[in-house]
Amino acid sequence: MSLSKRTLAWSAGLSMIIAGAWGAVLAADNPAHLRHEAMETVQESFKPLRAIAVKETPFDAAVVKKNAGTILEKLKEAHGLFPEGSGGGDSRAKAEIWSDRAGFDAAMKNAQAAATAMAAVTEEAAFVPAMKGLGGACKACHDKYRLPEQ
Amino acid sequence: MRLPSRRTAAAIAFVLAVAAVAFLWLTQPDPLPAAAIPAHTADRANGEVLYHAGSCFACHKAAKGATNPSLPSGGTPFKTPIGVFYPQNLTPDPETGLGRWSELDFVNAMTRGLSPDGRHYFPAFPYMAYRAMRVSDLLDLRAYLMSLPAVKAMHPPHSVPQLGLARRGVGLWKRIALTRLPFIPASEGSDTWKRGAYLVNAPGHCGECHTPKSWLMLEDLSRYLAGGPHPGGEGKVPNLRGLLGRKKYKNVADLTLALQNGEELGYEDISSGGMAAIQENIAKLPESDVRAIAEYLLSLK
Repeated sequence: MSLSKRTLAWSAGLSMIIAGAWGAVLAADNPAHLRHEAMETVQESFKPLRAIAVKETPFDAAVVKKNAGTILEKLKEAHGLFPEGSGGGDSRAKAEIWSDRAGFDAAMKNAQAAATAMAAVTEEAAFVPAMKGLGGACKACHDKYRLPEQ
Repeated sequence: MRLPSRRTAAAIAFVLAVAAVAFLWLTQPDPLPAAAIPAHTADRANGEVLYHAGSCFACHKAAKGATNPSLPSGGTPFKTPIGVFYPQNLTPDPETGLGRWSELDFVNAMTRGLSPDGRHYFPAFPYMAYRAMRVSDLLDLRAYLMSLPAVKAMHPPHSVPQLGLARRGVGLWKRIALTRLPFIPASEGSDTWKRGAYLVNAPGHCGECHTPKSWLMLEDLSRYLAGGPHPGGEGKVPNLRGLLGRKKYKNVADLTLALQNGEELGYEDISSGGMAAIQENIAKLPESDVRAIAEYLLSLK
């Protein structure tokens, strides 16, 4: 049996579309990918806060509340995205997340509490301590449970 | 089985004896002469700066359960691919610390990798970098350590296979390693830049992790500070070259803030893989020194 060039081209094209769609479905369901995206948003939301901390921009309670709120929401989202077995590969998650789950959960809760405290800041004097609390909570968790660059 | 003839046995014993003598000869310690230590009035404040620049405390921190956890009484396990090391007590306790070390002992340890009784240190202790430190700086650092409260802290022996033989064998490695020129301070460039180069290369020993190592466990200078596999075995150590070009930091002020504050200001690249502890030490340096480090690092293309 011989296949025409046209049939071949069509089936090749079709299988590429199916494979691509399947890849997108996989990525959308992949907790490592999703938590990475959530953490990227956290990092983005940190930037306006850092700008205030280093006095590049003036203190603005509304900006603080908005960004701290996003950080809190994304931290909660990310916290739910560490199912057993989702480490390895390109993920920077360390095995300690699952071998010391209680410690990891406490560190994550700690960061969420710090974000909540930051969202409640209305005065400039309270901002820098809140920033150190929040950044310190991120740092403590990253020091223990995250690999350096992969 | 037939035993080897007396002649064969004698020949084997002879070859082994020659090999043993050659090994002992090749691995002899090569300490500095006493004349290498100049007369010097120690500056403890400078010693403290160097103590933080070298992040001594990151490895020599007190073991769990120590009464004063802020002192470098050592003993926290340091895991490497060849085994687990228990770093030296750096407080001036005479029995377990540096209390009985002379200035010459200290400089020999830092620049020749030798203990006061003439044994080789494993290069997990970064004397390849420290040997580029000025002797006056080393004496200041010693004076600072000797001014700390003495802590008695005994540590287990390093957990390395064939510890005694391996330790002596380090002498063979030194035969090759120490023929390399140490970092030589640049004669050109701004004073800040030169200060940064010295801090990064000599006390700071950044290259120990950030420069990949060859199979001989020597830094691959063609990839100076270019990052590579993490010595702890998991993940990678970031590349410190082209930080500006890759938009990791905006300018010297930005990297200075990052080194001073780390993730407390949201600089999240600086907390993983053990860097958090290093950053905490760097943060204790005078701002001018942190800025010097930043200026030097950002100049690396």
